[in-house]
Amino acid sequence: MYMIEVRNISKQFKVHQALNDVSFTVEQGSVTGLIGPNGSGKTTLIRIMNGVLGASGGQVSINGLDPFRETENVLAFCGTLTEQSGLYENMSGRDNLIFFAEAFGVQRAKARIDELVDLFELQEYQHRKVGTYSTGMKKRAGLARVLLHRPSILFLDEPTNGLDPDGIQMVLRIIRRLNQEEHMTILVSSHVLSQLSAVCDRYIFMEKGRKVEEGTEQEIVNRYLTSPRIEIEATIPDGWQTVIGYTPEIVSANKAIFQLQSREDIPLLLRQLTERGQVYQARITGSDLESIYFAIREAHHHE
Amino acid sequence: MNNRQAIRALVRKDIRAITASVQLWLPMLIVPLVIGIIMPGILIWTASRLELASLGNMSFLIDTLDNLTHAGQIPQLASMPTDNHRVVYYLALYMFAPLFLIIPVMASSILTANSFAGEKERKTLEGLLFTPMSMDTLFKGKVLAALIPSLLLSWITFIIYGIIANILMYPMFGAWMFPNLNWIILVLWVVPTCSLVVILLNVLISAKVRGFQEAYQLGGLVVLPLLALIAGQASGMLLISPLMLILVGAVLLLISFILLRLVTLWNSRQQLAESQI
Repeated sequence: MYMIEVRNISKQFKVHQALNDVSFTVEQGSVTGLIGPNGSGKTTLIRIMNGVLGASGGQVSINGLDPFRETENVLAFCGTLTEQSGLYENMSGRDNLIFFAEAFGVQRAKARIDELVDLFELQEYQHRKVGTYSTGMKKRAGLARVLLHRPSILFLDEPTNGLDPDGIQMVLRIIRRLNQEEHMTILVSSHVLSQLSAVCDRYIFMEKGRKVEEGTEQEIVNRYLTSPRIEIEATIPDGWQTVIGYTPEIVSANKAIFQLQSREDIPLLLRQLTERGQVYQARITGSDLESIYFAIREAHHHE
Repeated sequence: MNNRQAIRALVRKDIRAITASVQLWLPMLIVPLVIGIIMPGILIWTASRLELASLGNMSFLIDTLDNLTHAGQIPQLASMPTDNHRVVYYLALYMFAPLFLIIPVMASSILTANSFAGEKERKTLEGLLFTPMSMDTLFKGKVLAALIPSLLLSWITFIIYGIIANILMYPMFGAWMFPNLNWIILVLWVVPTCSLVVILLNVLISAKVRGFQEAYQLGGLVVLPLLALIAGQASGMLLISPLMLILVGAVLLLISFILLRLVTLWNSRQQLAESQI
Protein backbone atom coordinates (compact mmCIF):
# COMPACT_ATOMS: atom_id res chain seq x y z
CA MET A 1 0.00 0.00 0.00
CA TYR A 2 1.21 3.47 -0.82
CA MET A 3 1.56 5.98 1.99
CA ILE A 4 0.23 8.78 -0.22
CA GLU A 5 -2.01 8.33 -3.23
CA VAL A 6 -3.17 11.36 -5.17
CA ARG A 7 -5.65 10.69 -7.97
CA ASN A 8 -6.72 13.32 -10.51
CA ILE A 9 -6.70 16.18 -8.04
CA SER A 10 -7.87 19.56 -9.33
CA LYS A 11 -8.32 22.78 -7.42
CA GLN A 12 -10.02 25.91 -8.63
CA PHE A 13 -9.80 29.20 -6.68
CA LYS A 14 -12.52 31.40 -8.15
CA VAL A 15 -11.02 32.10 -11.60
CA HIS A 16 -7.58 30.61 -10.93
CA GLN A 17 -6.95 26.93 -11.67
CA ALA A 18 -4.32 26.07 -9.04
CA LEU A 19 -4.13 22.31 -9.72
CA ASN A 20 -5.14 20.42 -12.81
CA ASP A 21 -5.56 16.64 -12.78
CA VAL A 22 -2.55 15.81 -10.63
CA SER A 23 -1.89 12.12 -9.82
CA PHE A 24 1.05 10.41 -8.12
CA THR A 25 1.94 7.95 -5.39
CA VAL A 26 4.50 8.04 -2.61
CA GLU A 27 5.89 4.89 -1.04
CA GLN A 28 6.27 4.41 2.68
CA GLY A 29 9.68 5.42 3.99
CA SER A 30 10.68 7.39 0.88
CA VAL A 31 11.80 10.98 0.48
CA THR A 32 10.03 12.61 -2.44
CA GLY A 33 10.92 16.00 -3.84
CA LEU A 34 8.03 18.13 -5.08
CA ILE A 35 9.76 20.45 -7.48
CA GLY A 36 8.40 23.44 -9.29
CA PRO A 37 8.60 27.20 -9.57
CA ASN A 38 6.68 29.50 -7.22
CA GLY A 39 2.98 29.36 -8.03
CA SER A 40 3.12 25.89 -9.57
CA GLY A 41 0.66 24.50 -6.99
CA LYS A 42 3.03 22.77 -4.54
CA THR A 43 1.66 24.42 -1.40
CA THR A 44 -1.96 23.94 -2.50
CA LEU A 45 -1.21 20.26 -3.07
CA ILE A 46 0.30 19.91 0.42
CA ARG A 47 -2.72 21.62 1.97
CA ILE A 48 -5.06 19.29 0.08
CA MET A 49 -3.11 16.18 1.10
CA ASN A 50 -3.59 17.26 4.74
CA GLY A 51 -7.31 17.83 4.28
CA VAL A 52 -6.85 21.47 5.31
CA LEU A 53 -8.00 22.56 1.88
CA GLY A 54 -10.75 20.91 -0.13
CA ALA A 55 -10.15 19.79 -3.71
CA SER A 56 -12.44 20.69 -6.62
CA GLY A 57 -12.06 17.17 -7.98
CA GLY A 58 -10.16 13.91 -7.46
CA GLN A 59 -9.26 11.74 -4.47
CA VAL A 60 -6.45 11.61 -1.96
CA SER A 61 -5.56 8.74 0.32
CA ILE A 62 -3.09 9.22 3.18
CA ASN A 63 -2.11 5.91 4.75
CA GLY A 64 -5.47 4.56 3.58
CA LEU A 65 -7.51 7.46 5.01
CA ASP A 66 -9.42 10.13 3.13
CA PRO A 67 -8.11 13.48 4.43
CA PHE A 68 -11.34 15.29 3.49
CA ARG A 69 -13.52 12.98 5.57
CA GLU A 70 -11.07 12.03 8.32
CA THR A 71 -9.07 15.22 8.56
CA GLU A 72 -8.33 15.03 12.27
CA ASN A 73 -7.16 11.40 12.06
CA VAL A 74 -4.91 12.25 9.11
CA LEU A 75 -3.49 15.34 10.81
CA ALA A 76 -2.69 13.24 13.89
CA PHE A 77 0.02 11.33 12.00
CA CYS A 78 1.12 14.08 9.60
CA GLY A 79 3.55 16.86 10.39
CA THR A 80 3.41 19.85 8.07
CA LEU A 81 5.73 22.79 7.96
CA THR A 82 4.52 25.51 5.62
CA GLU A 83 6.61 28.45 4.53
CA GLN A 84 5.56 30.41 7.59
CA SER A 85 6.88 28.69 10.69
CA GLY A 86 3.41 29.06 12.30
CA LEU A 87 5.04 30.06 15.58
CA TYR A 88 3.73 32.81 17.83
CA GLU A 89 6.25 35.62 17.85
CA ASN A 90 5.22 37.01 21.22
CA MET A 91 5.94 33.67 22.89
CA SER A 92 9.28 32.00 23.54
CA GLY A 93 10.34 29.04 21.42
CA ARG A 94 9.77 26.70 24.33
CA ASP A 95 6.33 28.12 25.15
CA ASN A 96 5.39 27.65 21.49
CA LEU A 97 6.45 24.01 21.69
CA ILE A 98 4.50 23.54 24.93
CA PHE A 99 1.38 25.04 23.32
CA PHE A 100 1.60 22.87 20.19
CA ALA A 101 2.38 19.77 22.26
CA GLU A 102 -0.93 20.37 24.05
CA ALA A 103 -2.71 21.11 20.75
CA PHE A 104 -1.39 17.80 19.34
CA GLY A 105 -2.17 15.97 22.58
CA VAL A 106 1.46 14.85 23.01
CA GLN A 107 2.11 12.52 25.95
CA ARG A 108 5.18 13.21 28.12
CA ALA A 109 5.54 16.54 26.35
CA LYS A 110 8.43 17.87 28.42
CA ALA A 111 10.75 14.99 27.52
CA ARG A 112 9.78 15.26 23.82
CA ILE A 113 10.36 19.02 23.79
CA ASP A 114 13.78 18.58 25.44
CA GLU A 115 14.66 15.96 22.84
CA LEU A 116 13.69 18.26 19.94
CA VAL A 117 15.38 21.29 21.48
CA ASP A 118 18.58 19.22 21.57
CA LEU A 119 18.10 17.86 18.04
CA PHE A 120 17.65 21.33 16.57
CA GLU A 121 20.28 22.93 18.82
CA LEU A 122 17.80 25.40 20.28
CA GLN A 123 18.98 25.14 23.91
CA GLU A 124 20.44 28.63 23.99
CA TYR A 125 17.44 30.35 22.41
CA GLN A 126 14.49 28.33 23.69
CA HIS A 127 13.49 30.93 26.29
CA ARG A 128 13.81 33.89 23.91
CA LYS A 129 10.75 35.25 22.11
CA VAL A 130 10.39 33.81 18.61
CA GLY A 131 10.06 37.38 17.28
CA THR A 132 13.77 37.84 18.00
CA TYR A 133 14.81 34.66 16.12
CA SER A 134 16.68 34.67 12.81
CA THR A 135 15.04 32.99 9.78
CA GLY A 136 17.15 29.87 10.36
CA MET A 137 16.22 29.64 14.03
CA LYS A 138 12.52 30.08 13.19
CA LYS A 139 12.77 27.31 10.62
CA ARG A 140 14.43 24.99 13.15
CA ALA A 141 11.85 25.79 15.81
CA GLY A 142 9.11 25.31 13.19
CA LEU A 143 10.52 21.89 12.33
CA ALA A 144 10.63 20.99 16.01
CA ARG A 145 6.96 22.04 16.24
CA VAL A 146 5.81 19.70 13.47
CA LEU A 147 7.79 16.76 14.87
CA LEU A 148 6.35 17.01 18.40
CA HIS A 149 3.77 14.25 17.87
CA ARG A 150 6.22 11.91 16.07
CA PRO A 151 4.41 12.02 12.71
CA SER A 152 4.85 9.16 10.27
CA ILE A 153 4.48 11.48 7.27
CA LEU A 154 6.28 14.79 7.05
CA PHE A 155 5.29 17.51 4.57
CA LEU A 156 7.91 20.22 4.27
CA ASP A 157 7.02 23.20 2.12
CA GLU A 158 10.14 25.05 1.00
CA PRO A 159 12.04 24.17 4.21
CA THR A 160 15.29 25.66 2.96
CA ASN A 161 13.84 29.00 1.84
CA GLY A 162 15.71 31.95 3.30
CA LEU A 163 18.36 29.81 4.97
CA ASP A 164 22.12 30.32 4.74
CA PRO A 165 24.27 27.39 3.49
CA ASP A 166 24.81 26.11 7.04
CA GLY A 167 21.08 26.23 7.70
CA ILE A 168 20.33 24.39 4.44
CA GLN A 169 22.83 21.65 5.33
CA MET A 170 21.30 21.28 8.77
CA VAL A 171 17.77 20.90 7.37
CA LEU A 172 18.98 18.33 4.82
CA ARG A 173 20.86 16.44 7.53
CA ILE A 174 17.71 16.31 9.65
CA ILE A 175 15.56 15.16 6.72
CA ARG A 176 18.03 12.32 6.08
CA ARG A 177 18.15 11.39 9.75
CA LEU A 178 14.36 11.37 10.19
CA ASN A 179 13.99 9.23 7.12
CA GLN A 180 16.75 6.75 7.98
CA GLU A 181 16.33 6.48 11.75
CA GLU A 182 12.59 6.98 12.17
CA HIS A 183 11.55 5.70 8.72
CA MET A 184 9.43 8.76 8.16
CA THR A 185 7.84 9.22 4.75
CA ILE A 186 8.83 12.71 3.69
CA LEU A 187 7.48 14.92 0.92
CA VAL A 188 9.58 18.02 0.55
CA SER A 189 8.80 20.85 -1.82
CA SER A 190 11.28 23.30 -3.23
CA HIS A 191 11.86 25.52 -6.21
CA VAL A 192 15.62 24.94 -5.89
CA LEU A 193 16.26 21.42 -7.06
CA SER A 194 20.00 21.31 -6.38
CA GLN A 195 19.35 21.58 -2.64
CA LEU A 196 17.17 18.47 -2.60
CA SER A 197 19.12 16.19 -4.88
CA ALA A 198 21.17 14.96 -1.91
CA VAL A 199 18.15 13.66 0.02
CA CYS A 200 15.39 12.66 -2.41
CA ASP A 201 14.67 9.16 -3.71
CA ARG A 202 12.10 10.37 -6.23
CA TYR A 203 10.93 13.61 -7.74
CA ILE A 204 7.63 15.05 -8.88
CA PHE A 205 7.95 18.06 -11.14
CA MET A 206 5.11 20.60 -11.16
CA GLU A 207 4.48 23.38 -13.65
CA LYS A 208 1.41 25.66 -13.72
CA GLY A 209 -0.66 23.35 -11.53
CA ARG A 210 0.14 20.19 -13.47
CA LYS A 211 2.48 17.29 -12.83
CA VAL A 212 4.90 17.35 -15.74
CA GLU A 213 7.40 14.67 -14.75
CA GLU A 214 7.93 12.01 -12.11
CA GLY A 215 10.55 9.41 -11.26
CA THR A 216 13.93 8.68 -9.71
CA GLU A 217 16.88 10.81 -10.71
CA GLN A 218 18.17 8.06 -13.01
CA GLU A 219 14.80 7.53 -14.67
CA ILE A 220 14.39 11.23 -15.35
CA VAL A 221 17.96 11.63 -16.60
CA ASN A 222 17.53 8.69 -18.96
CA ARG A 223 14.28 10.12 -20.24
CA TYR A 224 15.68 13.55 -21.01
CA LEU A 225 19.30 12.77 -21.81
CA THR A 226 18.65 11.23 -25.22
CA SER A 227 21.49 13.01 -27.02
CA PRO A 228 24.24 13.64 -24.48
CA ARG A 229 27.00 16.20 -24.85
CA ILE A 230 30.27 14.90 -23.51
CA GLU A 231 33.30 17.02 -22.63
CA ILE A 232 36.61 15.18 -22.99
CA GLU A 233 40.00 16.16 -21.61
CA ALA A 234 42.64 14.06 -23.35
CA THR A 235 45.94 14.05 -25.20
CA ILE A 236 45.39 12.77 -28.74
CA PRO A 237 48.76 12.95 -30.54
CA ASP A 238 47.27 12.76 -34.06
CA GLY A 239 44.57 15.33 -33.33
CA TRP A 240 40.84 15.22 -32.53
CA GLN A 241 39.93 14.87 -36.21
CA THR A 242 41.20 11.30 -36.23
CA VAL A 243 38.20 10.16 -34.17
CA ILE A 244 35.93 8.51 -36.77
CA GLY A 245 32.21 9.27 -37.00
CA TYR A 246 32.11 12.42 -34.85
CA THR A 247 32.68 16.11 -35.43
CA PRO A 248 33.83 17.53 -32.12
CA GLU A 249 33.81 21.18 -31.03
CA ILE A 250 37.49 21.68 -30.27
CA VAL A 251 37.93 23.88 -27.20
CA SER A 252 41.72 23.57 -26.95
CA ALA A 253 44.46 21.10 -27.91
CA ASN A 254 43.52 18.94 -24.90
CA LYS A 255 39.80 19.57 -24.65
CA ALA A 256 36.85 18.93 -27.00
CA ILE A 257 33.08 18.55 -26.79
CA PHE A 258 31.24 15.75 -28.62
CA GLN A 259 27.51 15.85 -29.38
CA LEU A 260 26.36 12.22 -29.40
CA GLN A 261 23.19 10.68 -30.83
CA SER A 262 22.46 8.45 -27.84
CA ARG A 263 23.84 7.19 -24.52
CA GLU A 264 25.03 4.05 -26.31
CA ASP A 265 27.55 6.17 -28.20
CA ILE A 266 29.42 7.06 -25.00
CA PRO A 267 31.38 3.79 -24.54
CA LEU A 268 32.09 3.63 -28.30
CA LEU A 269 33.56 7.12 -28.28
CA LEU A 270 35.62 6.48 -25.16
CA ARG A 271 37.01 3.26 -26.66
CA GLN A 272 38.16 5.11 -29.78
CA LEU A 273 39.73 7.89 -27.71
CA THR A 274 41.64 5.51 -25.41
CA GLU A 275 42.96 3.68 -28.48
CA ARG A 276 44.28 6.98 -29.90
CA GLY A 277 45.68 8.68 -26.81
CA GLN A 278 45.44 9.32 -23.06
CA VAL A 279 41.98 10.21 -21.69
CA TYR A 280 42.14 12.17 -18.39
CA GLN A 281 38.51 13.15 -17.93
CA ALA A 282 35.10 12.64 -19.58
CA ARG A 283 32.08 14.57 -18.32
CA ILE A 284 28.51 14.58 -19.57
CA THR A 285 27.34 18.16 -19.57
CA GLY A 286 23.72 18.95 -18.80
CA SER A 287 23.13 15.59 -17.15
CA ASP A 288 22.67 16.94 -13.65
CA LEU A 289 19.15 17.25 -12.29
CA GLU A 290 19.28 21.01 -12.42
CA SER A 291 19.85 20.98 -16.19
CA ILE A 292 17.18 18.32 -16.60
CA TYR A 293 14.82 20.46 -14.54
CA PHE A 294 15.24 23.34 -16.97
CA ALA A 295 14.84 20.96 -19.90
CA ILE A 296 11.55 19.71 -18.39
CA ARG A 297 10.36 23.25 -17.76
CA GLU A 298 11.29 24.27 -21.28
CA ALA A 299 9.48 21.24 -22.72
CA HIS A 300 6.27 22.10 -20.86
CA HIS A 301 6.54 25.86 -20.94
CA HIS A 302 4.23 26.38 -23.88
CA GLU A 303 1.59 23.86 -22.88
CA MET B 1 -6.99 13.65 21.61
CA ASN B 2 -7.75 15.46 24.81
CA ASN B 3 -10.05 18.33 23.85
CA ARG B 4 -10.02 19.96 27.24
CA GLN B 5 -6.26 20.10 27.23
CA ALA B 6 -6.31 21.74 23.78
CA ILE B 7 -9.00 24.24 24.85
CA ARG B 8 -7.01 25.13 27.97
CA ALA B 9 -3.88 25.57 25.86
CA LEU B 10 -5.70 27.88 23.43
CA VAL B 11 -7.18 29.97 26.24
CA ARG B 12 -3.81 30.29 28.00
CA LYS B 13 -2.05 31.22 24.77
CA ASP B 14 -4.59 33.88 23.79
CA ILE B 15 -4.69 35.42 27.26
CA ARG B 16 -0.90 35.53 27.27
CA ALA B 17 -1.02 37.32 23.89
CA ILE B 18 -3.27 39.97 25.47
CA THR B 19 -1.08 40.57 28.49
CA ALA B 20 1.99 40.75 26.27
CA SER B 21 0.57 43.52 24.07
CA VAL B 22 0.18 46.97 25.60
CA GLN B 23 -1.90 48.11 22.58
CA LEU B 24 -4.44 45.48 23.56
CA TRP B 25 -4.68 45.69 27.31
CA LEU B 26 -4.30 49.44 27.72
CA PRO B 27 -7.58 50.44 25.99
CA MET B 28 -9.28 47.53 27.70
CA LEU B 29 -8.27 48.97 31.07
CA ILE B 30 -8.82 52.64 30.22
CA VAL B 31 -12.42 52.23 29.02
CA PRO B 32 -13.70 50.47 32.20
CA LEU B 33 -11.66 52.83 34.36
CA VAL B 34 -13.23 55.91 32.74
CA ILE B 35 -16.81 54.83 32.07
CA GLY B 36 -17.16 52.34 34.88
CA ILE B 37 -15.28 53.97 37.74
CA ILE B 38 -14.00 57.56 37.29
CA MET B 39 -16.97 59.12 35.44
CA PRO B 40 -19.75 57.53 37.56
CA GLY B 41 -17.75 58.21 40.73
CA ILE B 42 -17.37 61.92 39.90
CA LEU B 43 -21.01 62.30 38.87
CA ILE B 44 -22.37 60.58 41.98
CA TRP B 45 -20.04 62.60 44.21
CA THR B 46 -21.06 65.85 42.46
CA ALA B 47 -24.76 65.04 42.61
CA SER B 48 -24.50 64.28 46.30
CA ARG B 49 -22.97 67.65 47.16
CA LEU B 50 -24.27 70.30 44.73
CA GLU B 51 -27.38 72.43 45.02
CA LEU B 52 -29.11 70.75 42.08
CA ALA B 53 -31.90 73.24 41.67
CA SER B 54 -29.31 75.95 40.89
CA LEU B 55 -28.06 74.00 37.88
CA GLY B 56 -30.23 74.87 34.90
CA ASN B 57 -29.79 71.70 32.91
CA MET B 58 -30.53 69.43 35.85
CA SER B 59 -34.19 70.36 35.81
CA PHE B 60 -34.74 67.89 32.95
CA LEU B 61 -33.39 65.04 35.05
CA ILE B 62 -35.40 66.11 38.11
CA ASP B 63 -38.56 66.29 35.98
CA THR B 64 -37.83 62.80 34.65
CA LEU B 65 -37.44 61.52 38.21
CA ASP B 66 -40.70 63.18 39.20
CA ASN B 67 -42.43 61.40 36.34
CA LEU B 68 -40.85 58.08 37.33
CA THR B 69 -41.92 58.64 40.94
CA HIS B 70 -45.50 59.45 39.97
CA ALA B 71 -45.63 56.52 37.58
CA GLY B 72 -44.44 54.30 40.40
CA GLN B 73 -41.63 52.84 38.29
CA ILE B 74 -39.06 53.48 41.01
CA PRO B 75 -41.18 53.54 44.18
CA GLN B 76 -38.18 54.13 46.44
CA LEU B 77 -37.82 57.65 45.00
CA ALA B 78 -41.06 58.81 46.61
CA SER B 79 -39.77 58.41 50.17
CA MET B 80 -36.47 60.24 49.58
CA PRO B 81 -36.02 63.54 51.38
CA THR B 82 -34.15 65.66 48.78
CA ASP B 83 -33.55 65.91 45.04
CA ASN B 84 -29.90 65.06 45.72
CA HIS B 85 -30.96 61.75 47.24
CA ARG B 86 -33.19 60.97 44.28
CA VAL B 87 -30.63 61.98 41.65
CA VAL B 88 -27.80 60.10 43.37
CA TYR B 89 -29.99 57.02 43.74
CA TYR B 90 -31.10 57.17 40.10
CA LEU B 91 -27.57 57.73 38.79
CA ALA B 92 -25.97 55.00 40.87
CA LEU B 93 -28.60 52.34 40.46
CA TYR B 94 -30.15 52.98 37.05
CA MET B 95 -28.40 55.41 34.76
CA PHE B 96 -24.94 53.85 34.69
CA ALA B 97 -26.18 50.32 34.24
CA PRO B 98 -26.19 50.34 30.39
CA LEU B 99 -22.69 51.83 30.43
CA PHE B 100 -21.58 48.60 32.02
CA LEU B 101 -22.59 46.74 28.89
CA ILE B 102 -20.10 48.78 26.90
CA ILE B 103 -17.25 47.18 28.87
CA PRO B 104 -17.84 43.53 27.87
CA VAL B 105 -18.87 44.59 24.34
CA MET B 106 -15.67 46.56 23.87
CA ALA B 107 -13.45 43.94 25.50
CA SER B 108 -15.07 41.06 23.63
CA SER B 109 -14.71 42.85 20.29
CA ILE B 110 -11.04 43.62 20.78
CA LEU B 111 -10.22 40.17 22.13
CA THR B 112 -12.04 38.22 19.43
CA ALA B 113 -10.83 40.38 16.56
CA ASN B 114 -7.30 39.93 17.85
CA SER B 115 -7.54 36.24 18.50
CA PHE B 116 -9.08 35.19 15.18
CA ALA B 117 -8.39 37.83 12.53
CA GLY B 118 -5.13 38.51 14.37
CA GLU B 119 -4.08 34.89 13.86
CA LYS B 120 -4.75 35.26 10.16
CA GLU B 121 -2.85 38.52 9.97
CA ARG B 122 0.15 37.05 11.77
CA LYS B 123 -0.03 33.92 9.58
CA THR B 124 -0.38 31.61 12.56
CA LEU B 125 -3.92 30.36 11.86
CA GLU B 126 -2.68 27.84 9.33
CA GLY B 127 -0.40 26.30 11.95
CA LEU B 128 -3.47 25.70 14.10
CA LEU B 129 -5.44 24.27 11.18
CA PHE B 130 -2.65 21.72 10.64
CA THR B 131 -3.08 20.37 14.18
CA PRO B 132 -5.58 17.54 14.78
CA MET B 133 -7.59 19.90 17.00
CA SER B 134 -11.24 19.77 15.91
CA MET B 135 -12.92 22.95 14.69
CA ASP B 136 -15.28 22.61 17.62
CA THR B 137 -12.33 22.68 20.02
CA LEU B 138 -10.76 25.58 18.18
CA PHE B 139 -13.94 27.69 18.34
CA LYS B 140 -14.62 26.77 21.97
CA GLY B 141 -11.07 27.75 22.90
CA LYS B 142 -11.28 31.01 21.00
CA VAL B 143 -14.68 31.92 22.48
CA LEU B 144 -13.54 31.12 26.03
CA ALA B 145 -10.26 33.01 25.53
CA ALA B 146 -12.32 36.15 24.83
CA LEU B 147 -15.18 35.46 27.25
CA ILE B 148 -13.09 34.84 30.38
CA PRO B 149 -11.07 38.11 30.29
CA SER B 150 -14.14 40.04 29.18
CA LEU B 151 -16.21 38.79 32.11
CA LEU B 152 -13.36 39.26 34.59
CA LEU B 153 -12.91 42.84 33.42
CA SER B 154 -16.64 43.56 33.69
CA TRP B 155 -17.01 41.93 37.10
CA ILE B 156 -13.93 43.59 38.59
CA THR B 157 -15.16 46.98 37.33
CA PHE B 158 -18.58 46.19 38.78
CA ILE B 159 -17.08 45.37 42.19
CA ILE B 160 -14.95 48.54 42.26
CA TYR B 161 -17.91 50.64 41.08
CA GLY B 162 -20.08 49.05 43.76
CA ILE B 163 -17.58 49.85 46.50
CA ILE B 164 -17.25 53.48 45.33
CA ALA B 165 -21.02 53.92 44.92
CA ASN B 166 -21.67 52.54 48.40
CA ILE B 167 -18.95 54.68 49.98
CA LEU B 168 -20.49 57.79 48.38
CA MET B 169 -24.10 56.83 49.14
CA TYR B 170 -23.76 55.47 52.66
CA PRO B 171 -23.45 58.89 54.38
CA MET B 172 -26.63 60.04 52.57
CA PHE B 173 -28.81 56.97 52.93
CA GLY B 174 -27.33 55.33 56.03
CA ALA B 175 -27.45 51.93 54.30
CA TRP B 176 -25.64 49.92 51.62
CA MET B 177 -27.73 50.81 48.57
CA PHE B 178 -25.81 49.00 45.84
CA PRO B 179 -26.48 46.66 44.07
CA ASN B 180 -30.17 46.24 43.44
CA LEU B 181 -31.76 43.25 41.69
CA ASN B 182 -31.38 44.91 38.26
CA TRP B 183 -27.62 45.17 38.65
CA ILE B 184 -27.25 41.59 39.82
CA ILE B 185 -29.23 40.31 36.83
CA LEU B 186 -27.32 42.64 34.54
CA VAL B 187 -23.90 41.53 35.71
CA LEU B 188 -24.53 37.82 36.17
CA TRP B 189 -26.93 37.19 33.30
CA VAL B 190 -26.97 39.97 30.67
CA VAL B 191 -23.23 40.73 30.65
CA PRO B 192 -22.25 37.08 29.98
CA THR B 193 -24.92 36.52 27.32
CA CYS B 194 -24.20 39.89 25.69
CA SER B 195 -20.46 39.07 25.67
CA LEU B 196 -21.21 35.73 24.09
CA VAL B 197 -23.26 37.33 21.29
CA VAL B 198 -20.55 39.90 20.60
CA ILE B 199 -17.83 37.24 20.63
CA LEU B 200 -19.68 34.90 18.29
CA LEU B 201 -20.57 37.77 15.96
CA ASN B 202 -16.92 38.79 15.91
CA VAL B 203 -15.82 35.20 15.34
CA LEU B 204 -18.12 35.12 12.32
CA ILE B 205 -16.75 38.41 11.03
CA SER B 206 -13.12 37.57 11.87
CA ALA B 207 -13.31 34.26 10.06
CA LYS B 208 -14.38 36.04 6.89
CA VAL B 209 -12.06 39.05 6.88
CA ARG B 210 -8.30 39.09 6.54
CA GLY B 211 -7.08 41.44 9.23
CA PHE B 212 -7.52 42.66 12.76
CA GLN B 213 -8.48 46.24 11.82
CA GLU B 214 -11.22 45.14 9.43
CA ALA B 215 -12.64 42.73 12.00
CA TYR B 216 -12.55 45.31 14.75
CA GLN B 217 -14.28 47.98 12.66
CA LEU B 218 -17.10 45.67 11.61
CA GLY B 219 -17.39 44.22 15.10
CA GLY B 220 -17.68 47.75 16.52
CA LEU B 221 -21.11 48.12 14.94
CA VAL B 222 -22.64 46.11 17.78
CA VAL B 223 -22.11 49.13 20.04
CA LEU B 224 -24.91 50.98 18.21
CA PRO B 225 -27.89 49.24 19.90
CA LEU B 226 -26.16 49.86 23.21
CA LEU B 227 -26.05 53.59 22.59
CA ALA B 228 -29.80 53.54 22.02
CA LEU B 229 -30.21 51.69 25.31
CA ILE B 230 -28.11 54.27 27.15
CA ALA B 231 -30.10 57.16 25.64
CA GLY B 232 -33.36 55.42 26.56
CA GLN B 233 -32.25 54.84 30.13
CA ALA B 234 -30.96 58.43 30.57
CA SER B 235 -34.24 59.91 29.34
CA GLY B 236 -36.30 57.62 31.54
CA MET B 237 -38.15 56.39 28.47
CA LEU B 238 -36.78 52.91 28.68
CA LEU B 239 -36.55 51.91 32.28
CA ILE B 240 -35.81 48.25 32.23
CA SER B 241 -37.40 46.06 34.87
CA PRO B 242 -35.70 42.93 36.29
CA LEU B 243 -38.07 40.75 34.32
CA MET B 244 -37.23 42.62 31.15
CA LEU B 245 -33.52 42.12 31.87
CA ILE B 246 -34.03 38.38 32.29
CA LEU B 247 -35.85 38.36 28.96
CA VAL B 248 -33.10 40.39 27.27
CA GLY B 249 -30.55 37.88 28.53
CA ALA B 250 -32.66 34.99 27.27
CA VAL B 251 -32.97 36.57 23.83
CA LEU B 252 -29.22 37.16 23.76
CA LEU B 253 -28.67 33.51 24.68
CA LEU B 254 -30.96 32.44 21.88
CA ILE B 255 -29.07 34.65 19.44
CA SER B 256 -25.84 33.05 20.74
CA PHE B 257 -27.13 29.58 19.89
CA ILE B 258 -28.07 30.74 16.38
CA LEU B 259 -24.68 32.41 15.91
CA LEU B 260 -22.88 29.32 17.25
CA ARG B 261 -24.71 27.21 14.69
CA LEU B 262 -23.74 29.64 11.93
CA VAL B 263 -20.13 29.72 13.14
CA THR B 264 -19.81 25.93 12.95
CA LEU B 265 -21.80 25.78 9.70
CA TRP B 266 -19.84 28.44 7.85
CA ASN B 267 -16.39 27.70 9.20
CA SER B 268 -15.12 24.28 8.32
CA ARG B 269 -11.35 23.79 8.41
CA GLN B 270 -11.32 24.02 4.60
CA GLN B 271 -13.36 27.23 4.51
CA LEU B 272 -11.15 28.85 7.14
CA ALA B 273 -7.99 27.85 5.31
CA GLU B 274 -9.33 29.10 2.00
CA SER B 275 -10.38 32.44 3.51
CA GLN B 276 -6.82 33.25 4.43
CA ILE B 277 -5.12 32.26 1.16
